[in-house]
Amino acid sequence: MDLVAGRTFAQERRPVRHVDWFLIVLACALSAVGLLLLYSATSQTLRQDGLDPFTRVNKQAFTIGLGIVVVIVMMSFDYRFLKIYSGFIYLGSILALVLVRIPGLGATDSTGTAQRWFEIAGFQITPSEFTKLALIVMLGAVLAGIRTSEPTLADVGKVLLISMVPLALVFLQPDIGTSISIVAIVVGMLIVAGTRLRHLLVLTVVGVVAITLVFQSGAIEDFQRERLKVFLDPSSVSADVRYNLDQSLIAVGSGGLLGKGYLQGSQTNLDYVPEQHTDFIFTVAGEEFGFVGAMALLVLFALLLWRAIRIAWLAKDPFGTYVAAGIASMFAIQMFVNIGMVIGIMPITGIPLPFLSYGGTSILVSFAAIGLLENIHMRRFT
Amino acid sequence: MENATARLRVLALLVVLMFLALSTRLWFLQVLASQAFEGEARRNSIRYEYTDPVRGRILDANGKQLVINQPSRELQITPDQLGNKGDAVVLDVSKLTGVPVRTIVRELQNTRYVASQAIPVAEFVPEKARLFIAEHPQRFPGVQVVPTAVRSYPYSRMAAHLFGYVHLIDQEHLKQLQGEGYGPNDIVGFGGLEESYETYLHGKRGKQTLYVNSDGETIGKGVARPPTAGDDLRLTLNAHIQQVAERSLLEGMARARTYHDATGNYLRADAGAVVVLDAKTGGVVAMASEPGYNPEWYVKGFTPAQYNYLFKNSKVGASLNRAIQTDYTPGSTYKPITALAAVKEHIASLSGQYPCVGQYKHPNDTSGAVFNNWTDVNLGYMSIATALEKSCDTVFDAFGSDFYFKYANNPLGEDVLQRDLRQWGFEQSTGIDLPGETPGLVPDPAWASTRPDIFENGAWIPGGDILTMIGSGYVQVTPLQLARAYAAIANGGHLCQPHLVDQIVGADGSVVKKVTGHCDQMIPYTPLELDYIRRALQTVVTGGTAQCAFQGFPLSRIAVAGKTGTAERETGKQDTSWFASMVGPDPANPQYVIVTMVEQGGFGGQTAAPITRQIIDGIYPNIGDASHPSCTTPDR
Repeated sequence: MDLVAGRTFAQERRPVRHVDWFLIVLACALSAVGLLLLYSATSQTLRQDGLDPFTRVNKQAFTIGLGIVVVIVMMSFDYRFLKIYSGFIYLGSILALVLVRIPGLGATDSTGTAQRWFEIAGFQITPSEFTKLALIVMLGAVLAGIRTSEPTLADVGKVLLISMVPLALVFLQPDIGTSISIVAIVVGMLIVAGTRLRHLLVLTVVGVVAITLVFQSGAIEDFQRERLKVFLDPSSVSADVRYNLDQSLIAVGSGGLLGKGYLQGSQTNLDYVPEQHTDFIFTVAGEEFGFVGAMALLVLFALLLWRAIRIAWLAKDPFGTYVAAGIASMFAIQMFVNIGMVIGIMPITGIPLPFLSYGGTSILVSFAAIGLLENIHMRRFT
Repeated sequence: MENATARLRVLALLVVLMFLALSTRLWFLQVLASQAFEGEARRNSIRYEYTDPVRGRILDANGKQLVINQPSRELQITPDQLGNKGDAVVLDVSKLTGVPVRTIVRELQNTRYVASQAIPVAEFVPEKARLFIAEHPQRFPGVQVVPTAVRSYPYSRMAAHLFGYVHLIDQEHLKQLQGEGYGPNDIVGFGGLEESYETYLHGKRGKQTLYVNSDGETIGKGVARPPTAGDDLRLTLNAHIQQVAERSLLEGMARARTYHDATGNYLRADAGAVVVLDAKTGGVVAMASEPGYNPEWYVKGFTPAQYNYLFKNSKVGASLNRAIQTDYTPGSTYKPITALAAVKEHIASLSGQYPCVGQYKHPNDTSGAVFNNWTDVNLGYMSIATALEKSCDTVFDAFGSDFYFKYANNPLGEDVLQRDLRQWGFEQSTGIDLPGETPGLVPDPAWASTRPDIFENGAWIPGGDILTMIGSGYVQVTPLQLARAYAAIANGGHLCQPHLVDQIVGADGSVVKKVTGHCDQMIPYTPLELDYIRRALQTVVTGGTAQCAFQGFPLSRIAVAGKTGTAERETGKQDTSWFASMVGPDPANPQYVIVTMVEQGGFGGQTAAPITRQIIDGIYPNIGDASHPSCTTPDR
């Protein structure tokens, strides 16, 4: 290895040379589509109320800009530091989850049933969103510390214990959507860590029993029970709950093959789908751009997940692999549960669609996750 | 990291499965089931606002307005929105509008309507009442006062039976008419011309497409279609002659009530009908039915007395159009038709002479049945013409016997008499453009077999044919059927389909549809035979049973040929008085056929013939002498 070549090699090893630009482009493309759909979903109603039709789009665009900054910040340090500080990060997120439950600190929604965000300078900060990332980092560190070829039962137990704390707190908020995400993240990371199938099956049984017990105990709110019932037995629930799903299906179904055209969707324009700019943003794509548009959106997500899993594979160390795999699991479950509920194959749980749903914290956490992925990708040689 | 690669593949596989599930579902929703969802989306977001069309008018032959529209303020109540204030609201509305509480409750409880419908309960609501209701929405939930157009009748009670009325559409009609653009708040015609010509009169409501959001707020408007006014009906009816007919009928009935029947009781003469047909076209020139009512009652809401009179008191039956909706025994007015049947079947001939005995017995009859003429004097042999003039029953009784023998000897078991009578349109609807026509009855062996209560073992008997020959027994006709048959005698054999509407005229004056006479159907008689009958009927007026009624009438200027009828009814009812006639300046070519019938009116020559005389005087005002002779003589 001569000096010149060595120098070239050294230069090649500089992290900034190994940014996954494709991943950045995908995240930006999804965000841009999100803004487009958001305008269609909100402009008509805002104009009707005498407000600037761009009000929501502007706010979301600002958040996306902030998200880019977050990406740069997340890329700027070596992700392996996170492994060292994972315990603090984890505890910090737990603290936030506890604080948001304290009356006066956390804000309640209009119905007063859920208390899950801080109101800071007009922005809603939802700590449970950050919890997901914090847990990924924490579990990544724990799993990377395993010296055996595969996690022992004790290791699995440790992982479960660590996960149960934030899961319980999120579940009690109540936030079933994030709870599902956390479960998926844990399962995804355990799979990649090489957990035996037997252990995973036991875990599944325990999970099912736990969920049944929780439902029986009455720990969850009525509206959540209703939402799950509409999925399991559509005829048994009240018209209000049924309405949400019906209107969503009408919107997507009436889009047909090619859609009604941008800003031409009657369901969208006339405000028929509740929560259309947040959890049900996908209906806009389905109605106005049809099957072709919806599939195009799915392709964007597929490419994003491919890049994430690829980064997990390329990562230099197990910690990077586990963190990237956790992030891939998070994006995958959120996409699947969100779109699945919009088109009626998953229960309505209130889970945002990454990069598209209106909402500050969700966007910021999604970009933070992209930054982490880039971090791992960039430093795969160093 | 070999193991990690394999495990990442598991993760990737799970992700691929997710995409497969989503894509499959999207394919189903957006490609396979898309059409159903498209329809739902459209129903979701589009609402229509309708504007009522102006309903077509009804005009007489000379363009005089019989039924028109008049602006009104209508008070409507939507039962669904009354909540628990129903009683209070009805009471308050009654006080404000003067409509009796009973009437309002009856309308609201009418099962014909849907509870979500705004049911009209009062018209011509004073502006003060409208303001009061508008200012107290809490006190009047589900009550609204809206500007509407209601029907108005410049001729008041005239021809009420012919027009029918309009009202809010009921469930049954809505189901039928929904495909033709009718909605739950449309006004439709019930009964009479309003019903028959609903599709023309109604017009097309205006439609404005509104784009509505999920809160029901209007976001935008589509292209508006203005309402299309309904078409006008131009009738064959002549308002003047109609008035004359109605007045003559009423006055004649009143006169009849001063006469006594054979048992010394006053005639009741409480109902009757007049039909005046254009003899050549079958166009209805006048059609009167008594007792009548004022169609305005339907518009303004009935008083309890009016309601009982019209609907509850079945004895009065004022809502019946007796010219077409009730059938009667025709009596001797049937004889010209049965005489022609006898000639056709070679039972009699126009040149023959037949005995007019006092009492007739069917040959070889052992039952002891005796058929009496109106006099027990034997009037000797006479022609068919004289038999018609004198209205001799026994001549026709003998013809009836012969018809029965023909039937008894017919291996097919058919009685040709009834076949011949049906060729005149009896026992069938005439097809007039009015609803609810009754077909009448021509009794025959087949009918007898269904009525063992009347005929022993359901077997046809000689008396069936004998009584039918003199228009008695079980024969039933409507005055219109009889008029139509007489018109065929008058016009040389054309059996016309009677009609009230001459043409349908669009709002812009263009003729939408012309109802030309349907006179293609012919009765199987020669002009010579029909001419013979008409001449014979002229002698009824000059020297026969109607002689008294036409005393002093200038028959040389206006020829009148007619036949009286005095039809016996069941015990307790006085005879039905008939006069069926052909009238016109040209004796060979009568202009009008006039049939007059008075229930319990006694002899035909006594009540119905003088009424007809009075009508003819009114039709030809400068010819008659306007005298109304009192004919109490028992002319049949």
